[in-house]
Amino acid sequence: MKLPELTKRFNQIVAPDIPNEWDVEEMLEPYLDQSDDVCQTIFWCIPAIWPISNGLCRDFLKILPELLGFVPLAQLPARVGEILDCYEMQGLRAAQQFMRSMESRYQERGNGSGLVLLGEVEGRLLPFIRGVAGRDLMIAGGNAVFTDTETIFLPPELAIYPKSADNILLYKLILAFQWAFLEIGSFTVFDSAEQDFKSDPEGPLWLTSFFSSCSDPIFARDCYSFLETVRAARFLERELPGLMRAWSALPRIVAPPVQEADPRATLLLELQAELLNGSLLQIQSQSSPTVFNDYWRRLTCEGASAVDTVHAVREVLAAIFDGKEDGGSGEEYPGISPLIFQGELRLTAIEAVRRQQFLRQGEELVHSLALYLAALPQEKLSQLLRSEEEKQSGASGLESDVSMIMDSEFAGTVDEHQAPLLVTINNEEVELSGEMAEEVRKFREEFGHLPGRFVSSAVGRAGEGVAPDVQPGNEQGGALQAAICYDEWDYRRLGFRKNWCVVTVKDLPDLKSGFIRQTLGKYHGVVNRLRHQFEMMRTTDRFVRRQRDGDDIDLDGLVESLADARAGLAQSDRLYIKLLRDERDIAVIFLVDMSNSTAGWVGNTIKESLVLMTEALEVLGDRYGIYGFSGMRRTRCEIYHIKDIDEPSGDVVRQRIGAIGPREYTRMGPAIRHATSLLGKTDARVRLLITLTDGKPEDYDDYKGEYAIEDTRHALLEAKTAGIHPFCITIDHQAHDYMDHLYGPVNYIFVNDVRRLPLRMPEIYRVLTS
Amino acid sequence: MSGAKIRLEEHRIIEEPYYLAQKNEVEIACAAHRRGLPLLLKGPTGCGKTRFMQYLAWKLDRPLITVSCHDDLSTSDLVGRYLIRAGEAVWMDGPLTLAVRAGGICYLDEVVEARKDTTVVIHPLADDRRELPIEKRGELLVAPPEFMLAVSYNPGYQSVLKDLKPSTRQRFVALSFTYPAVEQEAEIVCRESRVDRKLALTLVKLAVMTRSLKDSGLPEGASTRLLIQAGKLIEDGVDIPSACRAAVVEPLSDDPEMLAAIEDMVASLF
Repeated sequence: MKLPELTKRFNQIVAPDIPNEWDVEEMLEPYLDQSDDVCQTIFWCIPAIWPISNGLCRDFLKILPELLGFVPLAQLPARVGEILDCYEMQGLRAAQQFMRSMESRYQERGNGSGLVLLGEVEGRLLPFIRGVAGRDLMIAGGNAVFTDTETIFLPPELAIYPKSADNILLYKLILAFQWAFLEIGSFTVFDSAEQDFKSDPEGPLWLTSFFSSCSDPIFARDCYSFLETVRAARFLERELPGLMRAWSALPRIVAPPVQEADPRATLLLELQAELLNGSLLQIQSQSSPTVFNDYWRRLTCEGASAVDTVHAVREVLAAIFDGKEDGGSGEEYPGISPLIFQGELRLTAIEAVRRQQFLRQGEELVHSLALYLAALPQEKLSQLLRSEEEKQSGASGLESDVSMIMDSEFAGTVDEHQAPLLVTINNEEVELSGEMAEEVRKFREEFGHLPGRFVSSAVGRAGEGVAPDVQPGNEQGGALQAAICYDEWDYRRLGFRKNWCVVTVKDLPDLKSGFIRQTLGKYHGVVNRLRHQFEMMRTTDRFVRRQRDGDDIDLDGLVESLADARAGLAQSDRLYIKLLRDERDIAVIFLVDMSNSTAGWVGNTIKESLVLMTEALEVLGDRYGIYGFSGMRRTRCEIYHIKDIDEPSGDVVRQRIGAIGPREYTRMGPAIRHATSLLGKTDARVRLLITLTDGKPEDYDDYKGEYAIEDTRHALLEAKTAGIHPFCITIDHQAHDYMDHLYGPVNYIFVNDVRRLPLRMPEIYRVLTS
Repeated sequence: MSGAKIRLEEHRIIEEPYYLAQKNEVEIACAAHRRGLPLLLKGPTGCGKTRFMQYLAWKLDRPLITVSCHDDLSTSDLVGRYLIRAGEAVWMDGPLTLAVRAGGICYLDEVVEARKDTTVVIHPLADDRRELPIEKRGELLVAPPEFMLAVSYNPGYQSVLKDLKPSTRQRFVALSFTYPAVEQEAEIVCRESRVDRKLALTLVKLAVMTRSLKDSGLPEGASTRLLIQAGKLIEDGVDIPSACRAAVVEPLSDDPEMLAAIEDMVASLF
């Protein structure tokens, strides 16, 4: 293509914000001598990227000629989708990097290197580890392997083995080891021989203080971490033998023995190698000091705990530093990199999570304790409050004054779990019972103790009438509800633009007008007929006659059959009567197009139709909601609330129908998605979404033409997947051109004469639902 | 009525069914039977509710008539109806009437699936009146002391729409069933499928893993029944991974990622 043509098309796509002429030229220059196919594809990609980020689009166009060198043209849209995902997740810089690294990525894949991306396999790894661990662990990509006890961090991609199945196995192995550390208590070890350490959920772990007490903290940490890995391996051999067998069948990736100057590093590296080639626990290892042999022996019998490891680490340290003065010739221990599945031991991350958990659960506990105390008899409560105040005004620092929860005198006896718990606040005792006591007990089991300040704040809160975190009344203010984000489908990218549309739900003003009265007067006869018609559709028990089996004998059928027998004819076996119950269990949402084009009498007919429809539906008893939609640009998609599904109908609703009026544009996708989510919350057996519109989906920005149609279509597909039947009533004369594609040929109806719409609509509904 | 007698005999359980008591449910059920109280069993699928009923029927030496409820089950399906035979209207007892007459045990499996108006007919039977009115015949059957009514349902997967009405619930002595403890469950798997104990324990471990996936998109984990089926396949010579895939993994889900995850668990465990 020639430059002017390219520029023209480009400007068409990016209008109205057209960049500088030289900018465009520079961007498009590389494509001057490309074939038409390539240019088509490019112009397919630009509109997918440009609205998301202009900068990204420029970079993309810059790098695209290179990409085309190895990415097949047909795969380009899929790659564009990946790039955009990357941008939306991690921002521009990451997306740029992603584009640049694409080549190497492609080559790796082409060469059969089994590169596995975490994103690709997360869907199966997550249920795997949750199932194995039996609790809701999380998985996240990170720059190193470690766990903070809530989340396991994994490398974002693995390409160590040439086969992708093996790399997935490695992922599983990492997960299993990190889970094993949690399970065998590697992080929560506590040597009871050390009396002076006070466990505090907000302070550092015992391990942290243990390492820092060692003469060489980093070596102690590495040593401990490695020995725990051996113990974890033993644990996994028992728990997940299949996984460990599969692992041992894998070719060993043993790092070449680095000649470390430091004997301590050499020692650990040798041990690592032995663990990898499986010789560590089998043969009496030659290289390791005798303390290790002791430790291996302890591991082989059941019940070795992390405390044993701690002792082993102490002994190793002692053995190494034995005979040397001032701890190892003054040379700094360099540290070694851990095995991939072993991961790093990040105690600070664990401590942070523990602190969070402590505070979070503490807050929950305080809340329920406050509720519990507030429910106490008034005098008891005021007594508590008084003593609490005295305490705060008086000498506040006294430890003995702190509120505490203590076991009652039954503590330590056989049925400790049945014993009542007492909370002692200064000298007032309150007995906790049932669930509350159970909660307190759990908390103490988890964190060791319940700080007095929690109890104090619970008492304080109980005095204030509880619940600082629940503030009723807030939600009622203002007609505007919180905005909701919905994705939008981009057909060029074959993917969603994440959180693209911001939907705000607004109330229509209750307009006092004569509209409703006029309409009801105008259609008086029709309304009466409709009522009658719809009454007939209500839930009925009806007897069906001449069934093969049923509750009772159908005498007509019987007489006939006997007569037939006498006459020598074949007898019918349909002799029974059956009670059939047709229960209407329908919820329907009407989405009303409130775009600018409905101004004038078109809008009025739509309103009239709605009035008649509601009259009919009230008789029928189906649940229904009515919403209008309009808006401008993706950031202002507006849904007008006219009637919620479970809201009773009445004058207010009628007035809101009267207030429907033309607004702005027709962005259908988000409206349909919103209605889908609303219908998803109902439990009706049949869920209908009826859209009333006068034209194509269209918005001020790039939501036009094929893009708009495709997004609407996708929104409708989503609705169908959610078990909702979409249906459309349109008065657009061009409707047949695109409605077939949107709704399917039978799921829309074109009303030729708009004036007949009020009469047609209830009829259409009746046919639809019976 | 001799025809009915013969049919009733078919419902008698001759051999002792294998049942490992989890707690004191057998004693409670026997006491309920002695005192003429109806029984409500609740619990997830395949955890032994039906087996428990069989065992109870054997222990009490009463015929057990099981009705699997569905949403078209009408009152006359339970109580009985007139049928035309050779030009004559003949009354035919339904399973419930049959059980009341014979003093058997009537077990309505998955009772919430039945239509609401159907569950109401058991009301007079399920309280101290213990009677069954048969309107079409103008007959009022009074249940003999040996008769027992038992219903079961699974609180796990039914929607809010299909819940038992309080007026129905509050007539029953309720027993809650869960999956047995690991050791017990292994023993059951062992005993029913004849696999060795170690394998049974591993199978149970697999089931426990799948049962903790409730929040990750698996509504109900592997039941004891599935484990027994897996064990039976293994005993028949199917290799362990294939048996687990066919009997445990595939029945649980259709979601490919979930399937892969459970498959990974199988591969890790065996």
